[in-house]
Amino acid sequence: MSYSVNISVEAPTENQIQEITYDGTEIYQPPLTLSESLAKYAQKIDFSKTSEVEIKKEESNEDSKSDTDSKDAFQSSLWPWDSVRNKLRNTLQEVCVLADVLAIAKDKRYLVLDPVQQEPLETKPMVQIYARKKALAGAASVLLAGSEKMKNSQNEAARSRTTLDFHIELLRLRQNWRLKKVSNTIIGDLSYRTTGSKYLQTGTFEVTKAEDEEKVTSPPSSPLPGGPAPVKPTSALRVSIPSELQGVAYIEVLCQKDQEDLCTANLTLLGSGPPPSNPDMHWQQKLEAAQNVLFCKELFNQLAKEAVQLQAPIPHMVVGNQIMATVLPGIQLIIALRHSTSSDKKQQNPPPSKSDHDHVLEHSLHQLLREVHHKNTHHPFPHPATGPLGPSKKRMLAGPTAADRYELLEMTKTQTLLEQIVQQAQHFIMRMRTEYVLDTIAKEVKDPLITSHWNTLNSPTQSCVKIHISTHGYDAVCRTPLIIHVGEKSLKCICRDGKVMNMSYEPQELRDLIFCHINQHQILAVQALAKTMGWQALGNSNHLGTGTVEPLGNASSCLLSSPTGDRIIAVRCEPSDTQVSVAHSPRQDFFPSRLVTERKWEHLGGQFRDVRLDKMEGRNFLHKMELLMASLTSSS
Amino acid sequence: MSLSRSLPQSKEALLKSYRTRLKDDVKSMLENFEEIVKLSKGEHDTQLSRMTQCEQDTYEMHVRAANIVRAGESLMKLVSDIKQYLILNDFPSVNEAITHNSKVFRSKQAECDQKLMSLRDDMAADLYDLEEEYYSSINK
Repeated sequence: MSYSVNISVEAPTENQIQEITYDGTEIYQPPLTLSESLAKYAQKIDFSKTSEVEIKKEESNEDSKSDTDSKDAFQSSLWPWDSVRNKLRNTLQEVCVLADVLAIAKDKRYLVLDPVQQEPLETKPMVQIYARKKALAGAASVLLAGSEKMKNSQNEAARSRTTLDFHIELLRLRQNWRLKKVSNTIIGDLSYRTTGSKYLQTGTFEVTKAEDEEKVTSPPSSPLPGGPAPVKPTSALRVSIPSELQGVAYIEVLCQKDQEDLCTANLTLLGSGPPPSNPDMHWQQKLEAAQNVLFCKELFNQLAKEAVQLQAPIPHMVVGNQIMATVLPGIQLIIALRHSTSSDKKQQNPPPSKSDHDHVLEHSLHQLLREVHHKNTHHPFPHPATGPLGPSKKRMLAGPTAADRYELLEMTKTQTLLEQIVQQAQHFIMRMRTEYVLDTIAKEVKDPLITSHWNTLNSPTQSCVKIHISTHGYDAVCRTPLIIHVGEKSLKCICRDGKVMNMSYEPQELRDLIFCHINQHQILAVQALAKTMGWQALGNSNHLGTGTVEPLGNASSCLLSSPTGDRIIAVRCEPSDTQVSVAHSPRQDFFPSRLVTERKWEHLGGQFRDVRLDKMEGRNFLHKMELLMASLTSSS
Repeated sequence: MSLSRSLPQSKEALLKSYRTRLKDDVKSMLENFEEIVKLSKGEHDTQLSRMTQCEQDTYEMHVRAANIVRAGESLMKLVSDIKQYLILNDFPSVNEAITHNSKVFRSKQAECDQKLMSLRDDMAADLYDLEEEYYSSINK
């Protein structure tokens, strides 16, 4: 289609006259604005024509006029919606007609659509066969690829981890930990709930397959909160532990005396130091560490609760992760929960130079909580069929035995963990002090030997030591046994004569007692020795009232006379030293004076003269005394 | 059967679902294979042109082959699921493991006790000797 020559029409230069007034003046229309004139032109455009023009233009690259036209059309169509509306209307009409025809044709009553007979395409049967062959080959390759993939995964699983199959690992995990399946995830439980713990914090962990496994048969694993974990070549199984249970925790027990450590105990994972908390740790260690964290937390929680509730004379303090309790005056027990997560583990590593690592205190802390757990689950038999679980056997018997109020009140008293651990710490310190006192005395005092035997069997709050005071070489002559029961805050000493002495926690009291007994031992030993030598004991006193006043206790003394009665030995024992004096009965320096004239008075005995024991021969005091007695006997 | 009847409702449903999954997958494999064989016969009367038909058949075969593979993998997953179910719910074997563990730990405890006792005996005997030596020595 070709057009005639385009004629461009220009608008007149002057404006149109709008009105002529009666006086002849002409009122012009204001000139059209740009947009108005654009709209005017746009209304003149025939859309069907322009589309044809466009097609034409694409085919034959016509002049640019139609191009500008179409551009104008698209732009102007924004404003004069009229033509657009017409187009839409036409379209709707056509669509409606088509829908009607289709609806009628569907009925197949009035209208039938017949396929337009086409020229049947001639295809050769061989081509078809080839096509089929190709199709089958494609299907076969899909099948082969699938089977190959499966085979590969199986082979790889069999080759690379012969023993560490996911399911075998899972089985091992199941044998050691509690697991259950919740919808698509496997949830484990590492809390001590089943063994009687009543701690609220849950110890759940999630078991997933390691990421590097081929995802062929993997169970759906939920995304981990900790982000993608590094590849673990050792295990096909991974456990994810809640963040509050990660890391390493232990409970530190310190006995402090004015900022000076007496002892520390670290409660950690049994039998191992701080375990490495790298992410590719084996799940067993990881879970054990987490369980330990949980245990420590529970223990500390329990202790803190008790520390707040208990009304001690000196109130316990709970500050942050630390409990402070006063054990004995001036000595504090500090129990602290140390929890280091894997990130800041290196800095928080406890100084390993803590010397006194008391395994007993550590163990007993463990034991105490476990005992509580045990009591929670193991109720005394027999249970009443309808009664409540929990009351002790004693309380169940309270009804039949008609217990009174006092007895019932006594039954309800239970010792809390903190009280027990405080008692143990008290005992520990008492024992240490007693040991120290006994050792120093044994070191200081050489003459009577002091031997102490600690009983091997003792309880956490009571132990017993047996002390023998004897002299070397004269064990058979005399020995003084003492038994000291070391309790929590007091000492009980059972003396040789059956007297029972109760002492407080002050070590000085024990020291005094031992020194007193050393004196007594010396005096008794001398008397026993005298008896074997044929001497007579004239008298003795354990608590001599005369002489210089001793800083500790009293001096002991005795008086001995030789078989013939002509020699008298006086012995005075005091903690600082021992004095021995000798007197001759027919006094050698008797001179009749004006008052005492007769010679018979010389038998009264003369002045006592001190014996310088340190100059004498003999290994110890008793030996010297034996020699002294022997010499005095022989000279008479 | 009596065993499964004693199981709770949800478990039974789970087991049933395992069974249906197995049957479905096997059935799907078989059907897809049959369909492929049928397609390869190539006797359909359609309105489509031959070439189009060929293309469609090719495509269908591919899809059906992929279906077979999928069913196979689904079976693998079923096996893994059943394994997991067995591991997690096999309480007799768990009990056995617990008994075994406790036995092991008990024996370990007894062993430790025994060692401690023998250590104590040894130390006591040595202490006797040492004491004797010390108290009869010249130092004391």
